[in-house]
Amino acid sequence: MPDLSEYYQPQSLTAALELLAKSNGKLIPLAGGTDIVPAMGKGELKANGLVDLSKLSEIRRISMDDSEIKIGSLTTFAQIETSPLIQAKASLLADAAAAVGSPQIRTTGTIGGNIANASPAADTVTALVTLDAQARLDSIKGSRRVLVSELLCGVGKTNIHPQEIITEITFKIPSTGSKTGFIKLGRRKALAIARMNLAIIVTLDNGKISFARVGLGAVGPNPRRYPVLENSLVGQSPSESLIDEFAIEAEREVTRVLGSRPSAIYKCEAVKGIARDLLKKMFSDSGQGVV
Amino acid sequence: MAQFHLEMKVNGKAIALDIDPGLRLLDVLRDILHLTGTKEGCGEGECGACSVILDDELVDSCLILAPQAYGREVITIEGLALNGELDPYQQAFLEVGAVQCGYCTPGMILAARVLLNHKPKPSQQEIARAISGNLCRCTGYAKIVQGVEIAASIKETKEGVSRA
Repeated sequence: MPDLSEYYQPQSLTAALELLAKSNGKLIPLAGGTDIVPAMGKGELKANGLVDLSKLSEIRRISMDDSEIKIGSLTTFAQIETSPLIQAKASLLADAAAAVGSPQIRTTGTIGGNIANASPAADTVTALVTLDAQARLDSIKGSRRVLVSELLCGVGKTNIHPQEIITEITFKIPSTGSKTGFIKLGRRKALAIARMNLAIIVTLDNGKISFARVGLGAVGPNPRRYPVLENSLVGQSPSESLIDEFAIEAEREVTRVLGSRPSAIYKCEAVKGIARDLLKKMFSDSGQGVV
Repeated sequence: MAQFHLEMKVNGKAIALDIDPGLRLLDVLRDILHLTGTKEGCGEGECGACSVILDDELVDSCLILAPQAYGREVITIEGLALNGELDPYQQAFLEVGAVQCGYCTPGMILAARVLLNHKPKPSQQEIARAISGNLCRCTGYAKIVQGVEIAASIKETKEGVSRA
Protein backbone atom coordinates (compact mmCIF):
# COMPACT_ATOMS: atom_id res chain seq x y z
CA MET A 1 0.00 0.00 0.00
CA PRO A 2 1.34 3.43 -0.90
CA ASP A 3 2.23 5.63 2.04
CA LEU A 4 0.70 8.94 1.05
CA SER A 5 1.63 11.95 3.10
CA GLU A 6 -0.90 14.15 1.31
CA TYR A 7 -4.22 13.48 -0.39
CA TYR A 8 -6.51 16.13 -1.82
CA GLN A 9 -9.87 15.86 -3.49
CA PRO A 10 -10.52 19.33 -4.91
CA GLN A 11 -14.05 20.28 -5.95
CA SER A 12 -13.00 22.56 -8.81
CA LEU A 13 -10.35 22.66 -11.50
CA THR A 14 -9.01 25.96 -10.16
CA ALA A 15 -8.52 24.41 -6.73
CA ALA A 16 -6.74 21.43 -8.31
CA LEU A 17 -4.40 23.70 -10.29
CA GLU A 18 -3.60 25.75 -7.19
CA LEU A 19 -2.67 22.60 -5.29
CA LEU A 20 -0.36 21.45 -8.09
CA ALA A 21 1.23 24.89 -8.39
CA LYS A 22 1.98 25.01 -4.67
CA SER A 23 3.25 21.47 -4.38
CA ASN A 24 6.50 21.97 -6.28
CA GLY A 25 6.07 18.78 -8.24
CA LYS A 26 5.42 16.63 -5.19
CA LEU A 27 1.77 15.94 -5.96
CA ILE A 28 0.64 13.69 -8.80
CA PRO A 29 -2.79 14.12 -10.41
CA LEU A 30 -4.99 11.03 -10.14
CA ALA A 31 -7.56 10.52 -12.91
CA GLY A 32 -9.29 7.12 -13.18
CA GLY A 33 -6.52 5.33 -11.32
CA THR A 34 -6.46 2.14 -13.39
CA ASP A 35 -2.75 2.53 -14.18
CA ILE A 36 -1.52 4.51 -11.18
CA VAL A 37 -3.23 2.55 -8.40
CA PRO A 38 -1.71 -0.88 -9.21
CA ALA A 39 1.63 0.76 -10.05
CA MET A 40 1.73 2.36 -6.58
CA GLY A 41 0.72 -0.94 -5.01
CA LYS A 42 3.65 -2.71 -6.65
CA GLY A 43 6.01 0.10 -5.73
CA GLU A 44 6.69 0.92 -9.39
CA LEU A 45 5.39 4.42 -8.84
CA LYS A 46 6.38 6.38 -5.78
CA ALA A 47 4.01 9.21 -4.95
CA ASN A 48 4.34 11.59 -2.07
CA GLY A 49 0.80 12.77 -2.45
CA LEU A 50 -2.10 12.78 -4.88
CA VAL A 51 -4.54 15.30 -6.26
CA ASP A 52 -7.63 13.19 -6.88
CA LEU A 53 -9.49 14.68 -9.84
CA SER A 54 -12.58 12.49 -9.48
CA LYS A 55 -14.90 15.32 -8.42
CA LEU A 56 -14.13 17.57 -11.40
CA SER A 57 -17.26 16.84 -13.43
CA GLU A 58 -16.55 20.01 -15.44
CA ILE A 59 -13.94 18.08 -17.43
CA ARG A 60 -15.98 14.91 -17.88
CA ARG A 61 -18.08 15.65 -20.96
CA ILE A 62 -18.23 15.38 -24.74
CA SER A 63 -19.38 18.25 -26.93
CA MET A 64 -19.20 19.55 -30.47
CA ASP A 65 -19.00 23.03 -31.90
CA ASP A 66 -18.85 23.86 -35.62
CA SER A 67 -16.27 21.46 -36.93
CA GLU A 68 -14.62 20.37 -33.71
CA ILE A 69 -15.23 17.71 -31.10
CA LYS A 70 -14.20 18.44 -27.52
CA ILE A 71 -13.71 15.71 -24.96
CA GLY A 72 -13.05 16.54 -21.33
CA SER A 73 -9.96 14.73 -20.13
CA LEU A 74 -11.80 12.82 -17.39
CA THR A 75 -14.28 11.32 -19.84
CA THR A 76 -14.14 7.55 -19.45
CA PHE A 77 -13.55 5.04 -22.22
CA ALA A 78 -17.09 3.73 -21.66
CA GLN A 79 -18.54 7.20 -22.20
CA ILE A 80 -16.56 7.60 -25.43
CA GLU A 81 -17.36 4.10 -26.66
CA THR A 82 -21.12 4.67 -26.23
CA SER A 83 -21.29 8.33 -27.28
CA PRO A 84 -23.58 8.65 -30.34
CA LEU A 85 -21.61 11.75 -31.35
CA ILE A 86 -18.25 9.96 -31.34
CA GLN A 87 -19.75 6.89 -33.02
CA ALA A 88 -21.16 9.06 -35.81
CA LYS A 89 -18.32 11.53 -36.33
CA ALA A 90 -15.16 9.66 -35.31
CA SER A 91 -15.95 5.96 -35.11
CA LEU A 92 -12.23 5.11 -34.98
CA LEU A 93 -12.10 6.69 -31.52
CA ALA A 94 -15.27 4.90 -30.34
CA ASP A 95 -13.75 1.62 -31.57
CA ALA A 96 -10.42 2.39 -29.88
CA ALA A 97 -12.17 3.16 -26.59
CA ALA A 98 -14.16 -0.07 -26.89
CA ALA A 99 -10.89 -1.99 -27.35
CA VAL A 100 -9.40 -0.84 -24.04
CA GLY A 101 -8.98 -3.43 -21.29
CA SER A 102 -12.26 -4.76 -19.92
CA PRO A 103 -15.71 -3.33 -19.17
CA GLN A 104 -14.48 -2.54 -15.64
CA ILE A 105 -11.41 -0.68 -16.89
CA ARG A 106 -13.49 1.23 -19.43
CA THR A 107 -15.91 2.57 -16.82
CA THR A 108 -12.97 3.83 -14.75
CA GLY A 109 -10.08 4.74 -17.05
CA THR A 110 -10.03 8.14 -18.73
CA ILE A 111 -8.85 9.47 -22.06
CA GLY A 112 -6.65 12.07 -20.37
CA GLY A 113 -5.06 9.35 -18.29
CA ASN A 114 -4.43 7.27 -21.40
CA ILE A 115 -2.39 10.15 -22.85
CA ALA A 116 -0.58 11.07 -19.63
CA ASN A 117 0.39 7.45 -18.99
CA ALA A 118 2.16 7.44 -22.39
CA SER A 119 2.08 3.71 -22.95
CA PRO A 120 3.37 2.61 -26.37
CA ALA A 121 0.20 0.53 -26.75
CA ALA A 122 -2.41 3.08 -25.58
CA ASP A 123 -5.45 2.32 -27.72
CA THR A 124 -7.18 5.69 -27.77
CA VAL A 125 -3.88 7.50 -28.29
CA THR A 126 -3.38 5.76 -31.66
CA ALA A 127 -6.82 7.04 -32.72
CA LEU A 128 -6.10 10.52 -31.34
CA VAL A 129 -2.77 11.01 -33.14
CA THR A 130 -4.42 9.81 -36.34
CA LEU A 131 -7.08 12.51 -35.84
CA ASP A 132 -4.31 15.10 -35.24
CA ALA A 133 -5.95 15.71 -31.88
CA GLN A 134 -4.74 18.44 -29.58
CA ALA A 135 -4.58 18.37 -25.81
CA ARG A 136 -5.35 21.44 -23.75
CA LEU A 137 -3.12 21.76 -20.72
CA ASP A 138 -4.07 24.06 -17.88
CA SER A 139 -1.99 25.40 -15.06
CA ILE A 140 -2.48 28.29 -12.70
CA LYS A 141 -0.50 30.43 -15.15
CA GLY A 142 -2.76 29.78 -18.13
CA SER A 143 -3.36 27.19 -20.77
CA ARG A 144 -1.71 25.85 -23.89
CA ARG A 145 -2.72 23.54 -26.69
CA VAL A 146 -0.33 20.91 -27.98
CA LEU A 147 -0.72 18.15 -30.54
CA VAL A 148 -1.10 14.88 -28.63
CA SER A 149 1.72 13.50 -30.79
CA GLU A 150 4.02 16.29 -29.60
CA LEU A 151 3.08 15.79 -25.97
CA LEU A 152 4.43 12.24 -26.03
CA CYS A 153 8.18 11.79 -25.86
CA GLY A 154 8.94 8.18 -25.13
CA VAL A 155 7.69 5.20 -23.16
CA GLY A 156 5.90 6.62 -20.11
CA LYS A 157 7.23 10.10 -20.87
CA THR A 158 5.38 13.30 -21.75
CA ASN A 159 6.06 17.03 -21.92
CA ILE A 160 3.36 17.73 -19.37
CA HIS A 161 4.74 20.03 -16.67
CA PRO A 162 4.25 18.88 -13.05
CA GLN A 163 1.90 21.82 -12.37
CA GLU A 164 -0.25 21.12 -15.45
CA ILE A 165 -3.33 18.97 -16.00
CA ILE A 166 -4.66 17.81 -19.35
CA THR A 167 -8.18 19.25 -19.32
CA GLU A 168 -9.52 18.69 -22.80
CA ILE A 169 -8.85 16.88 -26.04
CA THR A 170 -10.03 18.45 -29.29
CA PHE A 171 -9.96 17.40 -32.92
CA LYS A 172 -11.49 18.42 -36.22
CA ILE A 173 -14.27 16.15 -37.38
CA PRO A 174 -13.09 14.23 -40.46
CA SER A 175 -14.70 15.79 -43.53
CA THR A 176 -17.98 14.47 -44.88
CA GLY A 177 -17.50 11.33 -46.91
CA SER A 178 -14.55 10.16 -44.82
CA LYS A 179 -14.30 6.62 -43.58
CA THR A 180 -12.53 5.87 -40.35
CA GLY A 181 -11.52 2.66 -38.65
CA PHE A 182 -9.50 1.17 -35.81
CA ILE A 183 -8.21 -2.33 -35.24
CA LYS A 184 -6.32 -3.89 -32.37
CA LEU A 185 -4.29 -7.03 -32.22
CA GLY A 186 -4.04 -8.50 -28.75
CA ARG A 187 -3.17 -11.92 -27.39
CA ARG A 188 -6.84 -12.43 -26.72
CA LYS A 189 -9.97 -10.38 -27.28
CA ALA A 190 -10.61 -8.94 -23.85
CA LEU A 191 -8.14 -7.35 -21.49
CA ALA A 192 -5.14 -7.71 -23.74
CA ILE A 193 -2.59 -4.96 -23.98
CA ALA A 194 -2.29 -4.17 -27.65
CA ARG A 195 0.48 -6.04 -29.43
CA MET A 196 -0.26 -3.55 -32.13
CA ASN A 197 -3.05 -1.21 -33.09
CA LEU A 198 -3.85 0.67 -36.27
CA ALA A 199 -6.14 3.60 -37.04
CA ILE A 200 -6.99 4.90 -40.50
CA ILE A 201 -8.96 7.82 -41.90
CA VAL A 202 -9.56 8.12 -45.65
CA THR A 203 -11.60 10.72 -47.52
CA LEU A 204 -12.97 9.71 -50.88
CA ASP A 205 -13.50 12.18 -53.70
CA ASN A 206 -15.05 10.79 -56.89
CA GLY A 207 -13.88 7.31 -56.05
CA LYS A 208 -10.30 8.36 -55.27
CA ILE A 209 -8.67 8.78 -51.89
CA SER A 210 -7.98 12.51 -51.52
CA PHE A 211 -6.86 12.45 -47.89
CA ALA A 212 -5.41 9.76 -45.68
CA ARG A 213 -4.20 9.47 -42.10
CA VAL A 214 -2.58 6.34 -40.73
CA GLY A 215 -1.55 5.84 -37.11
CA LEU A 216 0.16 2.83 -35.59
CA GLY A 217 0.60 1.97 -31.93
CA ALA A 218 2.89 -0.44 -30.09
CA VAL A 219 5.49 -0.20 -32.84
CA GLY A 220 7.54 2.81 -31.74
CA PRO A 221 7.83 4.21 -28.18
CA ASN A 222 4.51 6.05 -28.64
CA PRO A 223 1.70 5.74 -31.16
CA ARG A 224 2.26 8.08 -34.11
CA ARG A 225 1.28 8.84 -37.70
CA TYR A 226 3.14 7.18 -40.54
CA PRO A 227 3.23 9.65 -43.49
CA VAL A 228 4.76 7.06 -45.84
CA LEU A 229 1.69 4.88 -45.36
CA GLU A 230 -0.64 7.85 -45.77
CA ASN A 231 1.06 8.79 -49.05
CA SER A 232 0.71 5.24 -50.32
CA LEU A 233 -3.09 5.66 -50.14
CA VAL A 234 -3.56 9.20 -51.46
CA GLY A 235 -4.57 9.39 -55.12
CA GLN A 236 -5.49 5.70 -55.25
CA SER A 237 -8.90 4.07 -55.64
CA PRO A 238 -10.04 1.50 -53.09
CA SER A 239 -9.35 -1.95 -54.49
CA GLU A 240 -8.06 -5.40 -53.56
CA SER A 241 -4.67 -4.57 -55.02
CA LEU A 242 -4.45 -1.32 -53.06
CA ILE A 243 -5.10 -3.30 -49.88
CA ASP A 244 -2.25 -5.69 -50.78
CA GLU A 245 0.13 -2.85 -51.65
CA PHE A 246 -0.72 -1.06 -48.42
CA ALA A 247 -0.09 -4.21 -46.38
CA ILE A 248 3.34 -4.62 -47.98
CA GLU A 249 4.13 -0.95 -47.40
CA ALA A 250 3.08 -1.32 -43.74
CA GLU A 251 5.37 -4.33 -43.35
CA ARG A 252 8.25 -2.30 -44.82
CA GLU A 253 7.62 0.60 -42.44
CA VAL A 254 7.38 -1.60 -39.35
CA THR A 255 10.57 -3.42 -40.40
CA ARG A 256 12.32 -0.06 -40.77
CA VAL A 257 11.16 1.17 -37.35
CA LEU A 258 11.79 -2.02 -35.40
CA GLY A 259 15.07 -3.00 -37.02
CA SER A 260 16.46 -6.11 -35.38
CA ARG A 261 14.33 -6.09 -32.23
CA PRO A 262 13.09 -9.50 -31.16
CA SER A 263 9.46 -8.50 -31.69
CA ALA A 264 10.14 -7.45 -35.28
CA ILE A 265 9.56 -10.83 -36.91
CA TYR A 266 6.14 -11.14 -35.34
CA LYS A 267 5.06 -7.55 -35.77
CA CYS A 268 6.15 -7.22 -39.42
CA GLU A 269 3.97 -10.19 -40.28
CA ALA A 270 1.13 -9.16 -38.00
CA VAL A 271 0.84 -5.62 -39.33
CA LYS A 272 0.02 -7.01 -42.78
CA GLY A 273 -2.89 -8.92 -41.31
CA ILE A 274 -4.41 -6.04 -39.37
CA ALA A 275 -3.83 -3.63 -42.28
CA ARG A 276 -5.69 -5.98 -44.64
CA ASP A 277 -8.52 -6.62 -42.20
CA LEU A 278 -9.08 -2.96 -41.43
CA LEU A 279 -8.91 -1.64 -45.00
CA LYS A 280 -11.16 -4.44 -46.22
CA LYS A 281 -13.75 -3.48 -43.62
CA MET A 282 -13.44 0.21 -44.45
CA PHE A 283 -13.62 -0.27 -48.23
CA SER A 284 -16.65 -2.53 -48.06
CA ASP A 285 -19.95 -0.76 -48.59
CA SER A 286 -21.20 -1.50 -45.10
CA GLY A 287 -21.44 2.20 -44.36
CA GLN A 288 -19.64 1.51 -41.12
CA GLY A 289 -17.42 4.33 -39.96
CA VAL A 290 -18.66 6.73 -42.63
CA VAL A 291 -18.76 10.32 -41.41
CA MET B 1 0.48 9.97 7.03
CA ALA B 2 -2.61 11.66 5.64
CA GLN B 3 -6.13 10.75 6.71
CA PHE B 4 -9.20 10.92 4.56
CA HIS B 5 -12.77 11.23 5.74
CA LEU B 6 -14.72 8.88 3.50
CA GLU B 7 -18.46 9.02 3.14
CA MET B 8 -20.21 6.66 0.78
CA LYS B 9 -23.18 4.35 0.55
CA VAL B 10 -22.50 0.64 0.66
CA ASN B 11 -25.37 -1.71 -0.11
CA GLY B 12 -27.83 1.05 0.67
CA LYS B 13 -26.26 1.98 4.00
CA ALA B 14 -24.53 5.33 4.59
CA ILE B 15 -20.97 4.85 5.81
CA ALA B 16 -18.59 7.43 7.24
CA LEU B 17 -15.05 6.58 8.35
CA ASP B 18 -11.57 8.02 8.52
CA ILE B 19 -9.12 6.03 6.46
CA ASP B 20 -5.63 6.04 5.07
CA PRO B 21 -6.18 7.46 1.55
CA GLY B 22 -3.76 4.94 0.06
CA LEU B 23 -6.27 2.15 0.67
CA ARG B 24 -8.01 0.75 -2.35
CA LEU B 25 -11.78 0.47 -2.38
CA LEU B 26 -11.23 -3.30 -2.16
CA ASP B 27 -9.22 -2.95 1.07
CA VAL B 28 -11.90 -0.84 2.72
CA LEU B 29 -14.67 -3.25 1.70
CA ARG B 30 -12.86 -6.37 2.84
CA ASP B 31 -10.64 -5.32 5.73
CA ILE B 32 -12.63 -2.50 7.34
CA LEU B 33 -16.24 -3.25 6.44
CA HIS B 34 -15.63 -7.05 6.44
CA LEU B 35 -17.56 -7.51 3.22
CA THR B 36 -15.38 -10.42 2.16
CA GLY B 37 -17.64 -11.54 -0.68
CA THR B 38 -15.57 -9.23 -2.88
CA LYS B 39 -12.40 -11.17 -3.73
CA GLU B 40 -8.90 -10.12 -4.58
CA GLY B 41 -7.44 -12.08 -7.47
CA CYS B 42 -4.70 -10.49 -9.51
CA GLY B 43 -4.73 -7.02 -8.00
CA GLU B 44 -4.16 -5.39 -11.37
CA GLY B 45 -7.47 -5.43 -13.21
CA GLU B 46 -7.00 -8.64 -15.18
CA CYS B 47 -9.37 -11.02 -13.40
CA GLY B 48 -12.41 -9.07 -12.22
CA ALA B 49 -12.79 -11.05 -8.97
CA CYS B 50 -12.92 -7.72 -7.11
CA SER B 51 -15.72 -6.29 -9.28
CA VAL B 52 -18.28 -4.14 -7.50
CA ILE B 53 -21.00 -1.83 -8.76
CA LEU B 54 -20.19 1.87 -8.34
CA ASP B 55 -23.08 4.17 -9.25
CA ASP B 56 -24.60 1.58 -11.63
CA GLU B 57 -21.30 0.80 -13.35
CA LEU B 58 -19.06 -2.22 -12.92
CA VAL B 59 -15.58 -1.36 -11.64
CA ASP B 60 -12.57 -3.30 -10.38
CA SER B 61 -12.29 -2.30 -6.72
CA CYS B 62 -8.55 -3.08 -6.81
CA LEU B 63 -7.94 -0.35 -9.39
CA ILE B 64 -9.39 2.59 -7.53
CA LEU B 65 -8.54 4.19 -4.25
CA ALA B 66 -11.29 4.26 -1.66
CA PRO B 67 -11.45 8.09 -1.62
CA GLN B 68 -12.48 7.99 -5.28
CA ALA B 69 -15.77 6.46 -4.11
CA TYR B 70 -16.54 9.50 -1.96
CA GLY B 71 -20.21 10.46 -2.23
CA ARG B 72 -20.97 7.47 -4.44
CA GLU B 73 -22.95 4.30 -4.04
CA VAL B 74 -21.27 0.90 -3.90
CA ILE B 75 -23.06 -2.42 -4.29
CA THR B 76 -21.22 -5.61 -3.38
CA ILE B 77 -22.41 -9.20 -3.60
CA GLU B 78 -23.65 -8.91 0.00
CA GLY B 79 -26.12 -6.25 -1.15
CA LEU B 80 -28.08 -8.59 -3.41
CA ALA B 81 -30.03 -11.00 -1.22
CA LEU B 82 -32.94 -9.24 0.46
CA ASN B 83 -34.19 -10.55 3.84
CA GLY B 84 -32.48 -13.84 3.26
CA GLU B 85 -34.10 -14.37 -0.12
CA LEU B 86 -31.70 -14.87 -3.01
CA ASP B 87 -32.00 -12.47 -5.89
CA PRO B 88 -32.63 -13.78 -9.44
CA TYR B 89 -28.93 -13.81 -10.33
CA GLN B 90 -27.96 -15.89 -7.33
CA GLN B 91 -30.92 -18.21 -7.88
CA ALA B 92 -30.08 -18.70 -11.54
CA PHE B 93 -26.38 -19.36 -10.91
CA LEU B 94 -27.27 -21.99 -8.32
CA GLU B 95 -29.91 -23.58 -10.50
CA VAL B 96 -27.68 -24.08 -13.51
CA GLY B 97 -24.46 -24.89 -11.66
CA ALA B 98 -22.62 -21.79 -12.79
CA VAL B 99 -20.62 -21.91 -9.55
CA GLN B 100 -17.69 -24.25 -9.04
CA CYS B 101 -14.91 -22.97 -6.84
CA GLY B 102 -16.91 -19.76 -6.42
CA TYR B 103 -14.04 -17.31 -6.45
CA CYS B 104 -15.19 -15.47 -9.60
CA THR B 105 -18.89 -15.75 -8.80
CA PRO B 106 -19.46 -12.46 -6.93
CA GLY B 107 -17.86 -10.51 -9.77
CA MET B 108 -19.71 -12.51 -12.42
CA ILE B 109 -23.06 -11.94 -10.74
CA LEU B 110 -22.46 -8.20 -10.39
CA ALA B 111 -21.38 -8.02 -14.05
CA ALA B 112 -24.61 -9.80 -14.99
CA ARG B 113 -26.65 -7.40 -12.90
CA VAL B 114 -25.16 -4.33 -14.59
CA LEU B 115 -25.80 -5.92 -17.99
CA LEU B 116 -29.43 -6.78 -17.28
CA ASN B 117 -30.06 -3.29 -15.87
CA HIS B 118 -29.16 -1.89 -19.29
CA LYS B 119 -30.35 -4.76 -21.43
CA PRO B 120 -33.08 -6.96 -19.96
CA LYS B 121 -32.83 -9.54 -22.77
CA PRO B 122 -29.21 -9.82 -23.80
CA SER B 123 -27.90 -12.09 -26.56
CA GLN B 124 -25.23 -14.68 -25.74
CA GLN B 125 -22.70 -12.42 -27.42
CA GLU B 126 -23.72 -9.48 -25.27
CA ILE B 127 -23.43 -11.65 -22.17
CA ALA B 128 -19.96 -12.79 -23.23
CA ARG B 129 -18.88 -9.20 -23.74
CA ALA B 130 -20.36 -8.11 -20.40
CA ILE B 131 -18.38 -10.76 -18.51
CA SER B 132 -15.22 -10.34 -20.61
CA GLY B 133 -13.46 -8.64 -17.70
CA ASN B 134 -14.17 -11.55 -15.34
CA LEU B 135 -12.03 -14.66 -15.48
CA CYS B 136 -13.31 -18.09 -14.49
CA ARG B 137 -10.88 -21.00 -14.42
CA CYS B 138 -13.44 -23.72 -13.61
CA THR B 139 -16.63 -23.56 -15.60
CA GLY B 140 -15.55 -22.87 -19.14
CA TYR B 141 -18.12 -20.04 -19.07
CA ALA B 142 -20.97 -21.99 -20.75
CA LYS B 143 -22.88 -22.43 -17.49
CA ILE B 144 -22.28 -18.82 -16.51
CA VAL B 145 -23.72 -17.52 -19.78
CA GLN B 146 -26.65 -19.88 -19.26
CA GLY B 147 -27.03 -18.59 -15.69
CA VAL B 148 -27.29 -15.02 -16.92
CA GLU B 149 -29.93 -16.04 -19.46
CA ILE B 150 -31.96 -17.76 -16.74
CA ALA B 151 -31.56 -14.74 -14.46
CA ALA B 152 -32.96 -12.60 -17.27
CA SER B 153 -36.04 -14.78 -17.57
CA ILE B 154 -36.57 -15.01 -13.78
CA LYS B 155 -36.35 -11.22 -13.61
CA GLU B 156 -38.79 -10.84 -16.48
CA THR B 157 -41.34 -13.14 -14.82
CA LYS B 158 -40.94 -11.41 -11.46
CA GLU B 159 -41.33 -7.97 -12.95
CA GLY B 160 -44.31 -9.18 -14.96
CA VAL B 161 -45.91 -10.48 -11.74
CA SER B 162 -45.22 -7.29 -9.82
CA ARG B 163 -46.71 -5.20 -12.61
CA ALA B 164 -49.88 -7.33 -12.80
